[in-house]
Amino acid sequence: MRIEISYKFIIGFIVVVVSGILVNLAVPYIKGIEPEFRQVFSIFCSLVVGLIIGSAFSRAFTGNIRRLTSAGDRIRQGDLSEDVEVGGSRFPDETSDLAKAMNQFQASLRSLVGDIRNIAFRVASSSQNLSGTSQEMSASAQEVARTTDQISKGAETQAEMVEESTRLFKELAISIKLVASSAKTVADSADLTLETARSGSDMAGSSLDSIRQVLTEAEGSGQQMVNFIAQLQKISKFVEVINGIAQKTNLLALNATIEAARAGEYGHGFAVVAEEIRKLADTTTTSADEITSLVESIEKEGQQVKSSMAQVIDEMESGREAADRTNQAFSEITRNAEGTRSKASSIAELTEQQTSSAERIIRAIDEIDRVVSDNAAATEQVSAATQEQSAAMEEMAQSAKELSNMSESMLQIVKQFKLVKDQD
Amino acid sequence: MALILIYKLGDDLYGLEIDAIQEIIENPVLHYVPRAEGVLTGSINFHGQILAVIDLPALLDFAVAQRDHRHLVLTPDYRSLVLTTSGVERIVNLEMELLQAPPEGYDRPAVRGVIDYDETTINLLDTDEVIKQLEEIFAE
Repeated sequence: MRIEISYKFIIGFIVVVVSGILVNLAVPYIKGIEPEFRQVFSIFCSLVVGLIIGSAFSRAFTGNIRRLTSAGDRIRQGDLSEDVEVGGSRFPDETSDLAKAMNQFQASLRSLVGDIRNIAFRVASSSQNLSGTSQEMSASAQEVARTTDQISKGAETQAEMVEESTRLFKELAISIKLVASSAKTVADSADLTLETARSGSDMAGSSLDSIRQVLTEAEGSGQQMVNFIAQLQKISKFVEVINGIAQKTNLLALNATIEAARAGEYGHGFAVVAEEIRKLADTTTTSADEITSLVESIEKEGQQVKSSMAQVIDEMESGREAADRTNQAFSEITRNAEGTRSKASSIAELTEQQTSSAERIIRAIDEIDRVVSDNAAATEQVSAATQEQSAAMEEMAQSAKELSNMSESMLQIVKQFKLVKDQD
Repeated sequence: MALILIYKLGDDLYGLEIDAIQEIIENPVLHYVPRAEGVLTGSINFHGQILAVIDLPALLDFAVAQRDHRHLVLTPDYRSLVLTTSGVERIVNLEMELLQAPPEGYDRPAVRGVIDYDETTINLLDTDEVIKQLEEIFAE
């Protein structure tokens, strides 16, 4: 039952008054008390009752006030963990209302602080995440910037290399043109060589024919010489026969002379005949000897002629072989020159194709050069953009860090509020 | 005048009267005589007679001498010997009055006398000396 404080004071006063009246009424019935002291006693009793009630009431009141004060102090210090409890709840009064109001205030404050703390927590963690993310992004942006730099440098190198390639291909094109003109010259030379080799081959062929004819004639002459020598040898044989006959005749003449001598005077004429025969035989022998020596010298000369002829034939043969070889060599030269000419022609054709290919390549490389230059420019733009982005990222990271710090300090502040009673 | 057959012994010219010569034969079939002396070259069949062939240059010690294929067959007065010479030349008619005795100390063997003919000296063979030497050889 709610009783207001003022009513409680009134009720106490009434109780004191009533107790005085009652004691005053009851005193005559109390033995031992002198009638003169009956008044004093009833006042004394009223005072005692009054003191008791007053003391009880004021103790309860001041206790509640003290609790409220200490709760206010606690709240001021940020401890929102405990509710305010006031005693004498049998008869609640304004202190109870005040306590209730404070409890309600504390509850709403607690929920507010809890919300703030939760939000601050979230903000802190989000801002930390944000800070981390922005740092990562910043790092990524830096990485991108570095990579872009590298790409830019690569693009520059590429551009240089493309330029170098263009130069080299132009040189190559010039070289190819030179090769083409050389191949043309070679083809012309091969034509000339071919013509010369053909006329040389013809000349070698005709000289070969002449040599063959001469060789045939020489062989015929050699054969004639052999026949001649054989005839001479026959003459020699005949001369030998004649010589033998002459010697026989000589011997017969000698023996005839001996026989004639033996015949004495009768044999004288026969002896003269025999002497003549001997002389004839001697002459024959001399002539035969001369013929023999003549035949021998002829034979000797014939042999010399034969050997000279053989030598001539040998030389002719080697001349023929040389001419043959010359002819073959000319044929070989002709074949080679034809091969050279056809190869030189194909080289010329190929080099023409190469020249057009090289020109196409140069055009393509020029195109590449342009693309590479565009790429380089684009890469530089990208690099610049990336640097700007990187700077923005850094700023953003800085801001996120500041936000994180702010949320951290806010959390620190909010943490000063104690929302739950300690478990200890 | 006498007919003399001139022949060679070594490089010297010798002569022999043709009265001593039966015949001049050419390339006879020479038969080998076993265990004969060096001067006896062999034997030949001369018209059915077996005649000894004497190597005259060897007998008369002509160290270097060729042998002719013609041989002199001597008459039976000269034991029918067959003489081999270094070369039969010819028959000449010589003045035998011009024949001279070999000079003192003449070194050619078996020379009966020398005669000049046609700017050369012809040694006339001493057949007796030859036969004597042969007899000496074959007597041993």
